[in-house]
Amino acid sequence: MLIEQCAYSNRWRRVTPAAKGLFSLGALIAAFTATQPATAALVALLLVITAVFGAGVPAARFLRVALPPLGFLLLGCLTLAYSLDFAPANGGFTVRWLPAGWSPVLQLAARSCAALSALLFLALTTPLVDLIALLRRLKMPEVLLEIMVLCYRMLFVFSEALHDTRTAQAARLGYATPALTLRSLGSLTANLTLQIWQRAHDLNVAAQSRNNDGAFRFLEPAYANSRRDITLACLGVLALVLLAVTLR
Amino acid sequence: MTTDVLLEFADVAFRYPDGNAGLAGCSLTIARGSRNALIGANGAGKTTLFQHANGLLKPQQGVVRYAGQPVDYSRAGLRALRSEVGLVFQNPDQQLFSASVREDVSFGPLNLGLDMATVRERVEQALQAVSMAPFADRPVHNLSFGQKKRVCIAGVLAMQPRLLILDEPMAGLDHAMRAELLAVLDGLHAQGITLLLATHDIDFAYRWADRIHLIAGGRCTAAFDAAALPEHAEALAAARLPMPGLVELHRLLVARKLLPTDSQPRAMGELISQLNASEKDFQ
Ligand SMILES: Nc1ncnc2c1ncn2[C@@H]1O[C@H](COP(=O)(O)OP(=O)(O)O)[C@@H](O)[C@H]1O
Ligand SMILES: [Mg+2]
Repeated sequence: MLIEQCAYSNRWRRVTPAAKGLFSLGALIAAFTATQPATAALVALLLVITAVFGAGVPAARFLRVALPPLGFLLLGCLTLAYSLDFAPANGGFTVRWLPAGWSPVLQLAARSCAALSALLFLALTTPLVDLIALLRRLKMPEVLLEIMVLCYRMLFVFSEALHDTRTAQAARLGYATPALTLRSLGSLTANLTLQIWQRAHDLNVAAQSRNNDGAFRFLEPAYANSRRDITLACLGVLALVLLAVTLR
Repeated sequence: MTTDVLLEFADVAFRYPDGNAGLAGCSLTIARGSRNALIGANGAGKTTLFQHANGLLKPQQGVVRYAGQPVDYSRAGLRALRSEVGLVFQNPDQQLFSASVREDVSFGPLNLGLDMATVRERVEQALQAVSMAPFADRPVHNLSFGQKKRVCIAGVLAMQPRLLILDEPMAGLDHAMRAELLAVLDGLHAQGITLLLATHDIDFAYRWADRIHLIAGGRCTAAFDAAALPEHAEALAAARLPMPGLVELHRLLVARKLLPTDSQPRAMGELISQLNASEKDFQ
């Protein structure tokens, strides 16, 4: 929800998603071409600066959203740093610290950070609605897009239904003891399953009433200055990739 | 007179697969350009009736006629019907399924096969009509209940129906939102759109409607001009509805000779201004 909020309130909300998508794709490429850890870190830093000062994403929020994936990255680095040797001659396992030195670990970390920043840049500046519209323009198969649209909408409908049912149960002491909790969770699941069934049916009826014949079509939003923004994005990409290539 | 009938139900019956009677021999006529209130208790069959009007359900007995012609349940026939008869569902979450407001409103007109420029124009007009234009790019799930409701109406308006049906539009709205919705409906009526809405509120129906239809047990039990409501006490009682307090009060004031017999206020405000204008002394 934090991402969602940010995507709608940032300064670059009105910039065409094509430009933002292009920029973040270019940044991803730069992240992969940067072989030196320092270069990748620089790319990551530049991306964060673009997001924070360009698009006006609050730095604290960027950090909060980045924390969970960074945690995973740390775990990944730790497993890379250790190596477990099994040599029967020595009589069992030996744990070795940094068999290949720091460099592969640093490289992985810095590259991942850069790639992560590239993705977060897109996620934090572009609402999913716009991304779906962009994917549609890129001729992504309609079926996948429809599924995305419906899932996105249903996500909110169901989190609301889930929340309501849970609150109603809690209000009548449904979660007072562990045994009751188990019981309540059971009936919650049953109830939600029914609701999902019902909602799916209702949505279909509603779509028919507005003359739907199967394919979902929606209006694409219009963006001012999209040519200028795409040009700027191209320049940004060029700069990033050049940086990554020259400093490799 | 017959040429003026836009929608007609003749002895329509429908039973749900689980055996519940949705409609049981319902007859009703909606005149072109009129404001109609359909009043009935929960489970009376209002929603079922509306789904028949939009061709979502097919009568198992009787006929539904639109503009004098029996509804054609072929693909093309339904398409034609649904582009003329717009249905706003009771629960906005049932109707809204796009991510953003603008997308959702564009859904119906695009289904009509209109070109992008026309659709864009209609979407803007519809959003303007329900004063939701500033919210066009917002995601649907961030809206309040009343706003969602207005987006639902815009989504149907953008299809430019000739008959607009609203299933309990006032339910769940606060006083101010009701007033706004009423203003929207008045605007639509002024454009010549025929309106049919379901409600429980007899006071509101008396104030707003041209014609009132009572429904109970899947059957239309009475239909009369709203102005003639005071004479239909029996029909109201049979549908277990109270006579509007305003009518009772007005009768009393006439009996006490505080108001002339030919006055007929339909809203409390009207009654008050009539009283203020009357020469009589209240002592
Ligand atoms: N999907 C359904 N399946 C079975 N019975 C239904 C269904 N929808 C409505 N009914 C039944 O049909 C009758 C009329 O319902 P409905 O048209 O929803 O009434 P209203 O809208 O006036 O509250 C009720 O008795 C109700 O139980
Ligand atoms: Mg209903």
